[in-house]
Parts: sequence; C-alpha cells; structure tokens
Amino acid sequence: MPHHRVARAPDRDIQPGHTRRSGLRTTAVAAGGALAAVTAMGPADRLVAAPSAEQDVRVLNLLLLVEYVEVAFYEAALANAGLSGELEDFARAVLEHEREHLAYLEGALGAKADPEPRYDLADATSDADAFAESTARLEDAAVGAYNGQAANVTPGAFLAAARIVSVEARHAAWIRSIRNGDPAPDAVDKPYDEARARRELEAIGLAS
Amino acid sequence: MSLERLDRLDVDGALAEACDGLTRAGFIVAAGAALAGLAAARPAVAEAAIPRSDQDVLNYALVLEYLQAAFYTEAERANGLSGRPAKAARVVGAVERAHVKAFRELLGRKAVGRPHFDFQGVTESSKPFLKTAVAFEDLAVAAYKGQARLVRSKAVLASALGIHTVEARHAAWMRYLNGNTPAADAFDLPRNRREINGIVASTEFISDRPRSTSRRRPRYTG
Repeated sequence: MPHHRVARAPDRDIQPGHTRRSGLRTTAVAAGGALAAVTAMGPADRLVAAPSAEQDVRVLNLLLLVEYVEVAFYEAALANAGLSGELEDFARAVLEHEREHLAYLEGALGAKADPEPRYDLADATSDADAFAESTARLEDAAVGAYNGQAANVTPGAFLAAARIVSVEARHAAWIRSIRNGDPAPDAVDKPYDEARARRELEAIGLAS
Repeated sequence: MSLERLDRLDVDGALAEACDGLTRAGFIVAAGAALAGLAAARPAVAEAAIPRSDQDVLNYALVLEYLQAAFYTEAERANGLSGRPAKAARVVGAVERAHVKAFRELLGRKAVGRPHFDFQGVTESSKPFLKTAVAFEDLAVAAYKGQARLVRSKAVLASALGIHTVEARHAAWMRYLNGNTPAADAFDLPRNRREINGIVASTEFISDRPRSTSRRRPRYTG
C-alpha cells in the first residue's frame, strides 16, 4: 500500500500530492507511456471542434479531480463508516480501481497535474447508509463527468478515458445491486458539464 | 429524423411499449441480414445529417442491440425466470428495445433489418440466462468502446457514449446476479469488430433462417 491518507474530518488538512506521487511513480510512468502510445494510434482529426493538448490538460485535470475525490472517499469510508461484509468488500475493490485510475491520469498529466484538493467527507462516510447513498451519487458523477468531456479531447485522451468510464458505470451499478436499487435507471447516461461535475463532487465532500 | 432523438429516450415509454409487446407474437421478425449485418452493414446512400461512416457504426451497434433486445424479450416471454433475474430481464429488455427503436429512427431507411435469432433455450431458466446476459453485456461494452473512436458526429458520439455506460451498468448488474465480480478490473478494454463478430458467431445465436425447434447447445463460453 503506497500510502494511508486519511480524509476523516474537515480539520484534517491534506497536503497536496505529498506521498502519492512517489508511491505510485512506477505505475504512473507505465500509464503515461501507454497513453502516449494510444495517442499515436489514431488520426488527429477524428473528433470534433478543436481538441488540443492544452484542452486535454484541462479535461484530464477535471477527471483527475474526480479520481482524487473517489480515492479519498473510499479511504475515508473504510476508516470511518463502519463498513462490513459485502459493503466493505465492495469499498476495498473499488478503492483499488480508483487508485489505478488516479495513477493513470497522474502519469498522463505529469508535471501538469493539479495538486490534490481538500475534502470534507465526514457526512458522506458517517455510516453504511450514508456511504451507500453517497457512493451511488459519486459514481454517477464520475460517469457523467467522463461522458461530458469525451468530445472535448484528442483521440488519445479519449481512448484512455473510455477505458475508465465504463468501470465507473460498473461501480455505480454494483453499489445499487448491493442495496437492491435500480442499477441502470436510464436508457442513456446523461453527460455532466464541468460545472455540474464540480457541484456533484462538492456535494459529496470536495472542499470548494 | 433528428440527431437529438437518442438523447430523449424515454424509458417509461419504452417500458409501456414493452408491456404491450409481450402480448404481440413474432417479435423476432423474419427479415434479417443475419450475421452479415454485423460484418457488412454499409448503407448505399448516406443520410444528410449523419456522416456515412457514422451510419456504418450505428448499424453495427443496431445489430448488437437487436441481439440483446431479442434475448431479453424472449426471456420475458418464456417466463422461466423469477425474482431479481426476472426483474432485471424486464428492465434491461425495455432499455435494449429503446436503443433499437432509437437507432432505427435515427437511421431511417438506412437501418439494417433484424436478423433471425435462436437462443437455443438459454432464455428459459435463470442460470443459462444470467451467464448469457453477462457475456452479451460485457461484449456490448467492449464493442461500443471499440467503435466510439470511429464516430465523427458529436451528437452520435454523445449518444453512443451514454449508451456505452448504460451497457456497463447492465453488465455489472447481470454479473452481480450471476455471482461474478461486477467490475473485475480497473480498466475495460475495447474490442474491434473482427473480435466481436467472432464471439457472436461462436454462439450460433444468430441464424440464417427463422427459428426452428432445434435445441443445440451453445458453444460459447461466456
């Protein structure tokens, strides 16, 4: 385990990017290489409008923010929400996925990665019910954020994001399956623009 | 025909239609291009609003949606499921039919026809149903992901991506019900058409003639 960052309470100040980058460096470098290889594969004019390297940085940093919040959320939940049984197994498995996503995006962004934000996740992880409800909302927000940005990035970043977004959707359906909810309430998932994505993250516990 | 149509899919409407559809015979109409629809879904004339290459992608997706819609609809009609698998078949079936309807409307007369299907009995009880559903949904996720980068129209792309993640939700749901890990890996990988076609062909679920009474066992390994 590269680090045990706790995002327990509002007074717990998280230093931006402290141990994570060193701990995950190997993975990140590998992921960055993979992203570069993917970028070289596709025609640059495939998508729309004017995706650019500069815009990719902005978009990937939004997705990085999603992954930061997800990692912090599952870490806080495992520390504080009193999870057990199926919910605990779920949280541990998903946390590992989110850490891999975070490392991937950090590797892709390199020095252009935004620093880690601050969180207040106490309410969202206060108990198992709060955790389950917040998880569904957070994973939906991840799906919406990725889908909302897909048309704004170059093909390489697009393919990288596409490999992640369906896993976020699986998480969203998984938690609802555990809670006997409706795992797929819509025929088409709605894209979230950046403002909505940020609002959703703030509702979970991203400090604004 | 409007590119916005896919964004306005109404699940409730689809559910209503699904209930109505249960009383109608012959959902699986003898009109299809069979597996050829997967490999050679190339309309002769491009629709004005959608790039020709996007029509090709949409027709490819349509065949996969035909396959899924027919599967869930048959499972519902066979009435061999109960409890949560029965509910999942009902809900997911309605969504897949909504996808079929939306793609057909989007493509208009360029839409490929519905192939013939023979699910060889796997729709009739929970265990083979869930195993097949997991295979279909994981396949759909990989197929949409494989096609997405080929899409040129922004509207078509937005719709395809919104459906892509719904298929991923279905995959996770069916996996959960089947006792599989809903999200086995941190990254989902795309599959190209050749891979998808090979997997679909190996199931022998798409037949070149209307369904017979035979009950061959499927050869695929979910």
